[in-house]
Amino acid sequence: MHHFGKTLTFMSLAVLLLLISTGSASGKTLFNDTIEEGDGYQINNYVIEVAEVVYEHEVATIHVYEDESKTPKFDKFLSLGDSFTFTIEGEDVEVTLLSVYSGISNRAKLSITITDASIINSKTLGEVDGGHTAAVLPKTPILEMIKTVEPDGIGIGDVVTVKVSVTNTGDGDAEKVIFSDPTPAKFVLQETLIAPTGQTTIKKGEMRLIYVYTLRSTEPGTFVFDPSTAVYSNSIDDEFPQASSNAPVIVVEDSIKKANLDVVLVLDEYTVDRRGNLEGTIRIKNTGESPASAVTVNVLVPTGLKYSEGDPGIEIISGVPTIYMESFGVQQEKEMSFRLKAIDEGTYTLSTQSSYLFSDGIDPNAQSASSTSVTNAIYVKKGKYDYLLEQPIYVYIVPLLVTGVVAGLLFYRHRQYKF
Amino acid sequence: MLNILIIGNGQCGNRILDAINRDAFGTKGRFAKYLSHQKYKSNVQTIAVNTAVNDLKEMKFTKAKDRIHTPHLHGVGANRNVGKHVFEDNKTLIMKNIHDRGDFDVAFVITSASGGTGSSFTPMLIRELKEKCNYPIYALVILPFREEGTLYLQNAAFCLKDLRESGADGIILADNQFLKQMGGNVESAYNGINDMIARRLLFLLDALDSEMMMVTDLGDFKTVMSGGAGIATIGFYEADSEMPIKSVIKKALSPEGLLFSTDAYQEASRSMIIIRGDRKYMSIDEVSSEVEQLSSSVGQVFKGIIIRNDELPQVLTVLTLESAVELENLYAIAVEAINYERLKKERVDSNKEVDRAFSQINGMDPSY
Repeated sequence: MHHFGKTLTFMSLAVLLLLISTGSASGKTLFNDTIEEGDGYQINNYVIEVAEVVYEHEVATIHVYEDESKTPKFDKFLSLGDSFTFTIEGEDVEVTLLSVYSGISNRAKLSITITDASIINSKTLGEVDGGHTAAVLPKTPILEMIKTVEPDGIGIGDVVTVKVSVTNTGDGDAEKVIFSDPTPAKFVLQETLIAPTGQTTIKKGEMRLIYVYTLRSTEPGTFVFDPSTAVYSNSIDDEFPQASSNAPVIVVEDSIKKANLDVVLVLDEYTVDRRGNLEGTIRIKNTGESPASAVTVNVLVPTGLKYSEGDPGIEIISGVPTIYMESFGVQQEKEMSFRLKAIDEGTYTLSTQSSYLFSDGIDPNAQSASSTSVTNAIYVKKGKYDYLLEQPIYVYIVPLLVTGVVAGLLFYRHRQYKF
Repeated sequence: MLNILIIGNGQCGNRILDAINRDAFGTKGRFAKYLSHQKYKSNVQTIAVNTAVNDLKEMKFTKAKDRIHTPHLHGVGANRNVGKHVFEDNKTLIMKNIHDRGDFDVAFVITSASGGTGSSFTPMLIRELKEKCNYPIYALVILPFREEGTLYLQNAAFCLKDLRESGADGIILADNQFLKQMGGNVESAYNGINDMIARRLLFLLDALDSEMMMVTDLGDFKTVMSGGAGIATIGFYEADSEMPIKSVIKKALSPEGLLFSTDAYQEASRSMIIIRGDRKYMSIDEVSSEVEQLSSSVGQVFKGIIIRNDELPQVLTVLTLESAVELENLYAIAVEAINYERLKKERVDSNKEVDRAFSQINGMDPSY
């Protein structure tokens, strides 16, 4: 028991000594080895450089450089067992000179500890041959992207120019930069003038035009162009959050060009006796902004009326009076006349069905449109002599027969007496 | 029902025939032929014969099938000799047309005595009919105006002679000269005479086939016509107001009613009187009185009475003559005319003055 207690005490002391020998009561040992004179040990953007080793005196000069500064931040003259501490990103870093060695290049054995190693960028930890001048220090490129769309107010079918530029406002080059730029909906890519190809590098402080292209609007509305983005890393392959541009807003007015045919039917009168005639006129005018083509106007004549004759431009196709014009310009007008005959009593309307094609300037295919028109009611009343037709058939047959017989008799008698 | 044939030869005969056909419609309207039939009581067939087609064309009431054109230019020019030749050339045509109509009970042939076609055709036609048919044939002959000219008088004289020799069963005379007392212009006089003759003949035909209260029939007519010298005439009178029947009878026997100038009481040989009218006018006593008076002069008088309600009295008389002073006068004039023509022809043949005038330029040519 007595021996165990001693052992335990001895072991505790050993551990204590070990801890002390490691130089830090609560830090992590990053390095405990020799470094040649002129070389260094990098922690993030600090390089602990062994500037000089004097073997005979068992001393070494330790410089600590920050970033790319040519002047050390700390210049310490250490004897064996001496330490100094400095902070890196809030954590204490203790450097202890453990031993010196002579050789072709003198060496110093250092112990380097840090209170919290979590701040360390593993890509920037380690021995650096050549000291601070050879250290690859981590940089933070910052890409700022700007997206512009001009003009920001257009009509349908108009063209906008999109430009995306990027500026590296960070302290290091942005490496392996990949850009992406979504094409907005309801727009059609017209022409690409500038576009990135694969990965690229945006150097520190560089401003570059990444995208220049034109789009044609296809629909009206207010559109938000999604931001352009870029992913990148620094020289040590640190990945950074995606850079994103602004999201410009474009307003597209409904200014699509259409053809619009007004077809009007007019009659000289709207009340007519049966077996009477109606004189009609069709007036066609293109009030739209686009010329029409393949214009077809069908005149729908109801049963009870009959198309008699009309302008040579009106043809009868499958029994339907039809006007066909290959083309019909903007603001062009045309008038055609026709005649109808009232066949049966009743109330009727006369209507037209029109169809035509036009180009809206956006869609390469022609657009089709149709329209209808109808007249006021047409009243066909009993004809002047219709009462004669309402009589029983014998009223007509008998006189006709009698007349026929008498006429035949008279003719026969005439022939009898004609010498 | 009697079957009666009536033939009209030449222009005069055609016109009288047409008037008969017109009156037979019962109305005088132009369109009567279109609207009705001729109202003959008997079966009457009419035939018009002419060489002049225009005369046939102007007939309006005779059917085309009843008109026979014997072609010879346009008429025979009042030349009976030419007419006779033409008849001979077309005899077959005419006779066939008659025979195709069947048999008849009596025939009347109407003609003028003075024209060319009628006066030449009629005697020859009657001779042909008498040879082939056995029914009585009577000629109704119209005598010319005395001032119509020597040719017409010449024709009339020879026509009547030929008729007497043709075998006709009787010749009924109508004298234009006597009837011109009607007055007016020549055309209206002709038309009036034609209408008178037509009316009388129609009355006669109607009477022969009518039911009579007192009957005379065709047989009596034949008997009357066979009397005297074979020459007869017809008298007619229609009262235009109520008048005694005896007055009507007297007028029918007077120059006012007769077609030929004669004194019925002096020259008639036999007579037929046909009275028609409403019963109320038929006073038997008056009728008998007049008939008795006539018969005391004439001898035989056949009488017939036809009752027609609401009709004014009409009287037709048929008189055959045993003598005709007027006919003798006509022949006297005709003989003068014949002599005149003959002498004229002789003068022309002998003098040849016109030929002499023409001969003066024999052997000469005109110079221009």
